[in-house]
Amino acid sequence: MNDMDPRQKELEAQLRRLLGSFDASAGFDKRVMQRVATLATTGAPRADLRAQLERRRELVRWRLRREAWMNGITILGLGACAAALLWRFAPEIQQLAASAAWPVDRGLLAAGTLAAVGAAVWFLLKRMETTSR
Amino acid sequence: MPADDAITELIQAGRAEAAFERLVPAYRRRVFGLAYSVLRDRGAAEDVAQEVFVKLWQALPRYDGRAQLSTWIYAITRNTAISATRRQRRSISMSDPTVFEEVESRGAAPEAGLDDAALWRSVEALPDKQRQAVTLYYQEERTVEEVAGMMGLPVNTVKTHLHRARASLAAALKTAGWEVA
Repeated sequence: MNDMDPRQKELEAQLRRLLGSFDASAGFDKRVMQRVATLATTGAPRADLRAQLERRRELVRWRLRREAWMNGITILGLGACAAALLWRFAPEIQQLAASAAWPVDRGLLAAGTLAAVGAAVWFLLKRMETTSR
Repeated sequence: MPADDAITELIQAGRAEAAFERLVPAYRRRVFGLAYSVLRDRGAAEDVAQEVFVKLWQALPRYDGRAQLSTWIYAITRNTAISATRRQRRSISMSDPTVFEEVESRGAAPEAGLDDAALWRSVEALPDKQRQAVTLYYQEERTVEEVAGMMGLPVNTVKTHLHRARASLAAALKTAGWEVA
């Protein structure tokens, strides 16, 4: 800036002069203080704001709760469907497993199923815990 | 900023009202300037500035000092001004006639030989970000860093806007007969 051209300096100075005095109109501070004093007397906006925030928070909580229930119902539904299918097609599945080229370890299958159910229950409990906060 | 420290201390001491009394004069020009730079209308900028201070008064007891006070205030001002712009949705130019009249009545600066009104028109004709940067930078002898904080932009971006704005102004004024080498 120090080695600026004199005309550029002049432009800078002019801009400072033009914009430097730019301010809100006289009495602005007073008007703001009066406005908040009025609001403080009525107390309405703060109460409104608090109520609004509380309503919003409750709405979010309700949405999360509903979502958690829907997820739970979906998982249980899918589980029930899977169980029904297994029950219904048990002989075919058994036959398929017996004819498979690879041996099916019953223990591994049971452990896998238990792990999947455990994960689903853990996920559900986690969601319930988050939404109940 | 020392004023910010004092204000923050008052808020943390639970003296939000006293903090607010200090905050209004300390931030009036910056809030108004920032609102004006977005809205380009003095009346609308004053309304927005009032709205911002009311919001600050409501939110001040909850200010936890995690963000810098100025950053917080500028963010509220920017958002309020942008919302006001959306509300207005003016199709006509938002150049403020009252400011223009005021500037025009001053006429040419005798020592500079440069017409204030012509300069104002040139500033108004700048692209939004450049005009905002120029208005905020020259309004109160601010640093580029402070303008960047107010506009919520990186410092280098503001430097670029200012550089381009100066070049555009010089070119515009040269066309108007004022030689900038």
